[in-house]
Amino acid sequence: MSDKAEILDTIAGLIRQVVGEDWIADVDIGMDTSFSDDLELESIEFVALAEHLQQVWGDRIDFVGWLSGMELDEIIGLRVGQLVDHVAGCLER
Amino acid sequence: MPRALNGEVGLHLALLGPEDARPPVVMSHGLLVGNLATWYLTCAPAVARSRRVVTWDLRGHGMSDRPPTGYDLPTMAGDLSTVLDLVSPDGSADLVGHSYGALVALRLALSAPRRVRSLALVEAPLSRADVAALTGWASVPADQLAAALPAALQADLDRGGRRARRLLQGLAALVTGTSVLDDVAAFPGLSDEELRRLSCPVLAIYGTRSACRPEADRLRRVLPTATVVEVEGGHYLPLEAAADVGSLLAGWLHA
Repeated sequence: MSDKAEILDTIAGLIRQVVGEDWIADVDIGMDTSFSDDLELESIEFVALAEHLQQVWGDRIDFVGWLSGMELDEIIGLRVGQLVDHVAGCLER
Repeated sequence: MPRALNGEVGLHLALLGPEDARPPVVMSHGLLVGNLATWYLTCAPAVARSRRVVTWDLRGHGMSDRPPTGYDLPTMAGDLSTVLDLVSPDGSADLVGHSYGALVALRLALSAPRRVRSLALVEAPLSRADVAALTGWASVPADQLAAALPAALQADLDRGGRRARRLLQGLAALVTGTSVLDDVAAFPGLSDEELRRLSCPVLAIYGTRSACRPEADRLRRVLPTATVVEVEGGHYLPLEAAADVGSLLAGWLHA
Protein backbone atom coordinates (compact mmCIF):
# COMPACT_ATOMS: atom_id res chain seq x y z
CA MET A 1 0.00 0.00 0.00
CA SER A 2 1.35 3.44 -0.89
CA ASP A 3 1.75 6.13 1.76
CA LYS A 4 -1.27 8.05 0.52
CA ALA A 5 -3.44 4.95 0.48
CA GLU A 6 -2.49 4.31 4.10
CA ILE A 7 -3.23 7.92 5.08
CA LEU A 8 -6.59 7.76 3.26
CA ASP A 9 -7.38 4.56 5.12
CA THR A 10 -6.57 6.16 8.47
CA ILE A 11 -8.55 9.32 7.70
CA ALA A 12 -11.55 7.32 6.45
CA GLY A 13 -11.55 5.37 9.72
CA LEU A 14 -11.43 8.59 11.75
CA ILE A 15 -14.29 10.10 9.71
CA ARG A 16 -16.43 7.01 10.46
CA GLN A 17 -15.56 7.34 14.15
CA VAL A 18 -16.43 11.06 14.26
CA VAL A 19 -19.74 10.66 12.38
CA GLY A 20 -20.68 7.63 14.48
CA GLU A 21 -23.89 6.86 12.57
CA ASP A 22 -24.86 3.59 10.88
CA TRP A 23 -25.02 4.93 7.31
CA ILE A 24 -21.35 5.99 7.25
CA ALA A 25 -20.21 2.35 7.45
CA ASP A 26 -21.61 1.78 3.93
CA VAL A 27 -20.10 4.91 2.37
CA ASP A 28 -17.04 4.39 0.20
CA ILE A 29 -14.75 7.21 1.33
CA GLY A 30 -12.25 8.06 -1.42
CA MET A 31 -9.98 10.90 -2.50
CA ASP A 32 -12.88 12.61 -4.34
CA THR A 33 -15.35 12.38 -1.47
CA SER A 34 -16.53 15.85 -0.45
CA PHE A 35 -16.84 16.61 3.25
CA SER A 36 -19.74 18.91 2.49
CA ASP A 37 -21.70 17.41 -0.41
CA ASP A 38 -21.10 13.69 0.14
CA LEU A 39 -20.65 13.38 3.90
CA GLU A 40 -22.52 16.50 5.07
CA LEU A 41 -20.04 16.86 7.88
CA GLU A 42 -20.95 19.54 10.43
CA SER A 43 -18.31 22.14 11.20
CA ILE A 44 -17.93 20.80 14.74
CA GLU A 45 -17.38 17.30 13.35
CA PHE A 46 -14.63 18.73 11.15
CA VAL A 47 -12.98 20.12 14.29
CA ALA A 48 -13.33 16.71 16.00
CA LEU A 49 -11.66 15.14 12.95
CA ALA A 50 -8.83 17.68 13.21
CA GLU A 51 -8.36 16.75 16.87
CA HIS A 52 -8.17 13.06 15.97
CA LEU A 53 -5.63 13.76 13.21
CA GLN A 54 -3.42 15.55 15.70
CA GLN A 55 -3.67 12.63 18.11
CA VAL A 56 -2.47 10.29 15.35
CA TRP A 57 0.27 12.45 13.81
CA GLY A 58 0.91 15.09 16.48
CA ASP A 59 3.04 18.09 15.58
CA ARG A 60 4.17 16.45 12.36
CA ILE A 61 1.14 17.91 10.60
CA ASP A 62 0.65 21.66 10.54
CA PHE A 63 -3.12 21.87 10.73
CA VAL A 64 -3.40 25.38 12.14
CA GLY A 65 -1.21 26.95 9.47
CA TRP A 66 -3.19 25.14 6.79
CA LEU A 67 -6.57 26.26 8.17
CA SER A 68 -5.50 29.86 8.66
CA GLY A 69 -5.17 30.28 4.91
CA MET A 70 -8.76 29.21 4.24
CA GLU A 71 -12.26 30.64 4.58
CA LEU A 72 -14.86 28.58 6.46
CA ASP A 73 -16.66 27.71 3.20
CA GLU A 74 -13.40 26.48 1.69
CA ILE A 75 -12.69 24.31 4.74
CA ILE A 76 -16.13 22.73 4.75
CA GLY A 77 -15.99 22.37 0.95
CA LEU A 78 -12.74 20.35 1.01
CA ARG A 79 -12.41 16.90 -0.50
CA VAL A 80 -10.92 14.06 1.51
CA GLY A 81 -8.07 13.87 -1.01
CA GLN A 82 -6.98 17.45 -0.24
CA LEU A 83 -6.64 16.53 3.42
CA VAL A 84 -4.76 13.34 2.51
CA ASP A 85 -2.38 15.36 0.29
CA HIS A 86 -1.79 17.88 3.05
CA VAL A 87 -0.99 15.20 5.62
CA ALA A 88 1.25 13.37 3.14
CA GLY A 89 3.11 16.62 2.36
CA CYS A 90 3.69 17.33 6.05
CA LEU A 91 4.90 13.79 6.75
CA GLU A 92 7.41 13.96 3.88
CA ARG A 93 9.13 17.01 5.38
CA MET B 1 -10.49 15.00 23.43
CA PRO B 2 -9.94 17.10 26.56
CA ARG B 3 -12.98 17.72 28.76
CA ALA B 4 -13.41 20.02 31.73
CA LEU B 5 -15.85 19.01 34.45
CA ASN B 6 -17.92 21.57 36.38
CA GLY B 7 -19.71 19.42 38.92
CA GLU B 8 -21.58 16.89 36.78
CA VAL B 9 -21.37 18.93 33.58
CA GLY B 10 -18.74 17.82 31.05
CA LEU B 11 -17.41 20.55 28.76
CA HIS B 12 -15.74 19.77 25.42
CA LEU B 13 -12.52 21.60 24.53
CA ALA B 14 -10.44 21.83 21.36
CA LEU B 15 -6.95 23.35 21.51
CA LEU B 16 -4.74 24.91 18.83
CA GLY B 17 -1.29 26.44 18.66
CA PRO B 18 2.01 25.88 20.46
CA GLU B 19 1.55 24.03 23.76
CA ASP B 20 4.31 25.94 25.53
CA ALA B 21 2.92 29.39 24.69
CA ARG B 22 1.58 30.64 28.03
CA PRO B 23 -0.77 32.04 29.17
CA PRO B 24 -3.51 30.68 26.92
CA VAL B 25 -6.21 32.54 25.03
CA VAL B 26 -9.68 31.12 25.77
CA MET B 27 -12.45 31.71 23.20
CA SER B 28 -16.16 31.38 24.06
CA HIS B 29 -18.85 31.15 21.36
CA GLY B 30 -22.41 32.49 21.22
CA LEU B 31 -25.67 30.92 22.33
CA LEU B 32 -28.10 28.55 20.53
CA VAL B 33 -26.46 28.15 17.13
CA GLY B 34 -22.78 28.49 18.12
CA ASN B 35 -20.23 25.89 19.11
CA LEU B 36 -16.44 25.83 19.33
CA ALA B 37 -16.16 25.61 15.54
CA THR B 38 -17.43 29.23 15.48
CA TRP B 39 -13.89 30.13 16.58
CA TYR B 40 -11.79 27.10 15.66
CA LEU B 41 -12.51 27.26 11.93
CA THR B 42 -12.54 31.06 11.63
CA CYS B 43 -10.42 33.42 13.75
CA ALA B 44 -8.57 31.03 16.08
CA PRO B 45 -5.91 29.84 13.59
CA ALA B 46 -4.62 33.41 13.08
CA VAL B 47 -4.11 33.80 16.83
CA ALA B 48 -2.74 30.26 17.22
CA ARG B 49 0.31 31.00 15.06
CA SER B 50 2.06 32.09 18.25
CA ARG B 51 -0.45 31.66 21.09
CA ARG B 52 -2.03 28.62 22.69
CA VAL B 53 -5.74 28.90 21.93
CA VAL B 54 -8.46 27.04 23.79
CA THR B 55 -11.94 26.83 22.29
CA TRP B 56 -14.78 25.19 24.22
CA ASP B 57 -18.42 24.27 23.79
CA LEU B 58 -20.72 26.10 26.20
CA ARG B 59 -23.03 23.79 28.18
CA GLY B 60 -25.89 22.58 25.99
CA HIS B 61 -23.88 23.22 22.81
CA GLY B 62 -21.65 21.22 20.47
CA MET B 63 -20.18 18.17 22.18
CA SER B 64 -20.56 19.41 25.76
CA ASP B 65 -23.22 17.98 28.08
CA ARG B 66 -26.70 19.48 27.92
CA PRO B 67 -27.94 19.84 31.51
CA PRO B 68 -31.55 21.06 32.00
CA THR B 69 -30.50 24.22 33.87
CA GLY B 70 -27.64 26.64 34.46
CA TYR B 71 -27.64 28.87 31.38
CA ASP B 72 -27.44 32.07 33.43
CA LEU B 73 -24.21 34.09 33.33
CA PRO B 74 -22.93 33.34 36.86
CA THR B 75 -23.22 29.57 36.27
CA MET B 76 -21.65 29.74 32.83
CA ALA B 77 -18.85 31.98 34.13
CA GLY B 78 -18.28 29.10 36.57
CA ASP B 79 -18.01 26.76 33.57
CA LEU B 80 -15.43 29.09 32.00
CA SER B 81 -13.56 29.18 35.30
CA THR B 82 -13.40 25.37 35.25
CA VAL B 83 -11.92 25.53 31.75
CA LEU B 84 -9.25 27.98 32.97
CA ASP B 85 -8.39 25.64 35.86
CA LEU B 86 -7.69 22.91 33.32
CA VAL B 87 -5.71 24.85 30.71
CA SER B 88 -3.81 27.55 32.60
CA PRO B 89 -1.13 26.78 35.19
CA ASP B 90 -1.89 29.91 37.22
CA GLY B 91 -5.60 29.96 36.30
CA SER B 92 -5.44 33.18 34.29
CA ALA B 93 -5.97 33.75 30.57
CA ASP B 94 -6.75 36.27 27.87
CA LEU B 95 -10.46 35.90 27.09
CA VAL B 96 -12.28 36.27 23.78
CA GLY B 97 -16.03 35.90 23.42
CA HIS B 98 -18.72 36.26 20.79
CA SER B 99 -22.24 37.40 21.74
CA TYR B 100 -23.43 35.57 24.89
CA GLY B 101 -19.93 34.06 25.13
CA ALA B 102 -18.62 37.64 25.45
CA LEU B 103 -21.04 38.19 28.35
CA VAL B 104 -19.80 34.99 30.02
CA ALA B 105 -16.19 36.23 29.76
CA LEU B 106 -17.22 39.68 30.99
CA ARG B 107 -19.03 38.14 33.97
CA LEU B 108 -15.86 36.24 34.94
CA ALA B 109 -13.80 39.43 34.60
CA LEU B 110 -16.14 41.12 37.09
CA SER B 111 -16.32 38.25 39.58
CA ALA B 112 -12.69 37.06 39.37
CA PRO B 113 -10.63 39.94 37.92
CA ARG B 114 -7.28 38.33 38.69
CA ARG B 115 -8.06 35.43 36.37
CA VAL B 116 -8.71 37.63 33.35
CA ARG B 117 -5.66 39.28 31.75
CA SER B 118 -7.65 40.94 28.98
CA LEU B 119 -11.08 40.84 27.36
CA ALA B 120 -11.91 40.85 23.65
CA LEU B 121 -15.67 41.21 23.26
CA VAL B 122 -17.09 40.51 19.81
CA GLU B 123 -20.68 41.70 19.37
CA ALA B 124 -21.36 41.71 23.12
CA PRO B 125 -25.12 42.27 23.70
CA LEU B 126 -24.67 44.38 26.83
CA SER B 127 -28.30 45.34 27.41
CA ARG B 128 -31.38 43.30 28.21
CA ALA B 129 -32.97 44.47 24.96
CA ASP B 130 -29.97 43.28 22.88
CA VAL B 131 -30.20 39.78 24.32
CA ALA B 132 -33.96 39.65 23.88
CA ALA B 133 -33.61 40.71 20.22
CA LEU B 134 -30.96 38.05 19.56
CA THR B 135 -32.75 35.11 21.17
CA GLY B 136 -36.42 36.05 20.62
CA TRP B 137 -36.58 34.14 17.31
CA ALA B 138 -36.08 30.83 19.17
CA SER B 139 -39.23 31.25 21.26
CA VAL B 140 -41.37 29.38 18.75
CA PRO B 141 -42.67 25.79 18.65
CA ALA B 142 -39.91 23.32 17.73
CA ASP B 143 -41.34 22.67 14.25
CA GLN B 144 -41.06 26.37 13.40
CA LEU B 145 -37.40 26.79 14.38
CA ALA B 146 -36.15 26.29 10.82
CA ALA B 147 -38.19 29.21 9.51
CA ALA B 148 -37.25 31.36 12.50
CA LEU B 149 -33.47 30.91 12.18
CA PRO B 150 -31.61 34.21 11.53
CA ALA B 151 -30.87 34.82 7.85
CA ALA B 152 -27.09 34.71 8.37
CA LEU B 153 -27.44 31.11 9.56
CA GLN B 154 -29.81 29.84 6.87
CA ALA B 155 -26.98 28.55 4.65
CA ASP B 156 -26.73 25.21 6.47
CA LEU B 157 -30.49 24.73 6.09
CA ASP B 158 -30.46 25.64 2.42
CA ARG B 159 -28.02 22.80 1.82
CA GLY B 160 -30.62 20.54 3.40
CA GLY B 161 -30.11 16.96 4.42
CA ARG B 162 -28.19 15.64 7.38
CA ARG B 163 -26.51 18.87 8.48
CA ALA B 164 -29.78 20.81 8.56
CA ARG B 165 -31.50 17.98 10.41
CA ARG B 166 -28.79 17.82 13.07
CA LEU B 167 -28.68 21.60 13.49
CA LEU B 168 -32.44 21.70 14.11
CA GLN B 169 -32.42 18.63 16.39
CA GLY B 170 -29.72 20.15 18.59
CA LEU B 171 -31.48 23.49 18.65
CA ALA B 172 -34.86 21.94 19.51
CA ALA B 173 -33.34 19.85 22.31
CA LEU B 174 -31.72 22.96 23.74
CA VAL B 175 -34.72 25.31 23.62
CA THR B 176 -37.37 22.77 24.63
CA GLY B 177 -35.32 20.62 27.02
CA THR B 178 -33.44 23.25 29.02
CA SER B 179 -33.99 26.53 30.83
CA VAL B 180 -31.83 28.42 28.32
CA LEU B 181 -34.48 30.85 27.05
CA ASP B 182 -35.81 31.56 30.56
CA ASP B 183 -32.27 32.09 31.83
CA VAL B 184 -31.33 34.54 29.09
CA ALA B 185 -34.67 36.34 29.52
CA ALA B 186 -33.74 36.89 33.18
CA PHE B 187 -30.49 38.68 32.20
CA PRO B 188 -30.93 42.23 33.51
CA GLY B 189 -28.30 43.80 31.27
CA LEU B 190 -24.97 45.28 32.34
CA SER B 191 -25.08 48.63 34.08
CA ASP B 192 -22.65 51.46 33.33
CA GLU B 193 -21.37 51.03 36.88
CA GLU B 194 -20.52 47.36 36.23
CA LEU B 195 -18.75 48.21 32.98
CA ARG B 196 -16.67 50.87 34.78
CA ARG B 197 -15.50 48.20 37.23
CA LEU B 198 -13.65 46.32 34.48
CA SER B 199 -9.99 46.66 35.35
CA CYS B 200 -8.31 44.69 32.53
CA PRO B 201 -7.64 45.92 28.96
CA VAL B 202 -10.82 45.67 26.87
CA LEU B 203 -11.21 45.37 23.09
CA ALA B 204 -14.78 45.57 21.77
CA ILE B 205 -15.66 44.76 18.16
CA TYR B 206 -19.10 45.48 16.69
CA GLY B 207 -20.59 44.92 13.24
CA THR B 208 -21.64 48.02 11.31
CA ARG B 209 -24.99 46.40 10.42
CA SER B 210 -25.66 44.75 13.78
CA ALA B 211 -28.54 45.71 16.06
CA CYS B 212 -25.94 45.69 18.89
CA ARG B 213 -23.86 48.42 17.25
CA PRO B 214 -25.13 51.23 19.55
CA GLU B 215 -23.31 49.44 22.38
CA ALA B 216 -20.06 50.56 20.71
CA ASP B 217 -20.98 54.20 21.41
CA ARG B 218 -22.01 53.37 24.95
CA LEU B 219 -18.67 51.65 25.63
CA ARG B 220 -16.72 54.60 24.21
CA ARG B 221 -18.61 56.86 26.61
CA VAL B 222 -18.63 54.64 29.73
CA LEU B 223 -15.25 52.96 29.35
CA PRO B 224 -12.97 55.42 27.53
CA THR B 225 -9.94 53.18 28.08
CA ALA B 226 -11.52 50.43 25.94
CA THR B 227 -10.46 49.97 22.33
CA VAL B 228 -13.69 49.98 20.32
CA VAL B 229 -13.62 48.93 16.67
CA GLU B 230 -16.40 48.57 14.09
CA VAL B 231 -16.13 45.98 11.34
CA GLU B 232 -18.26 45.70 8.20
CA GLY B 233 -20.87 43.03 8.94
CA GLY B 234 -23.74 41.91 11.13
CA HIS B 235 -24.02 40.11 14.46
CA TYR B 236 -22.34 36.85 13.38
CA LEU B 237 -19.00 38.56 12.78
CA PRO B 238 -16.69 35.57 13.41
CA LEU B 239 -18.44 33.85 10.48
CA GLU B 240 -19.17 36.94 8.37
CA ALA B 241 -15.81 38.70 8.73
CA ALA B 242 -13.43 35.98 9.93
CA ALA B 243 -10.31 37.48 8.30
CA ASP B 244 -10.87 40.99 9.70
CA VAL B 245 -11.80 39.81 13.17
CA GLY B 246 -8.95 37.26 13.17
CA SER B 247 -6.33 39.90 12.37
CA LEU B 248 -7.79 42.33 14.94
CA LEU B 249 -7.62 39.61 17.60
CA ALA B 250 -4.13 38.53 16.56
CA GLY B 251 -2.94 42.14 16.87
CA TRP B 252 -4.67 42.61 20.22
CA LEU B 253 -3.18 39.39 21.60
CA HIS B 254 0.27 40.01 20.08
CA ALA B 255 -0.03 36.74 18.21
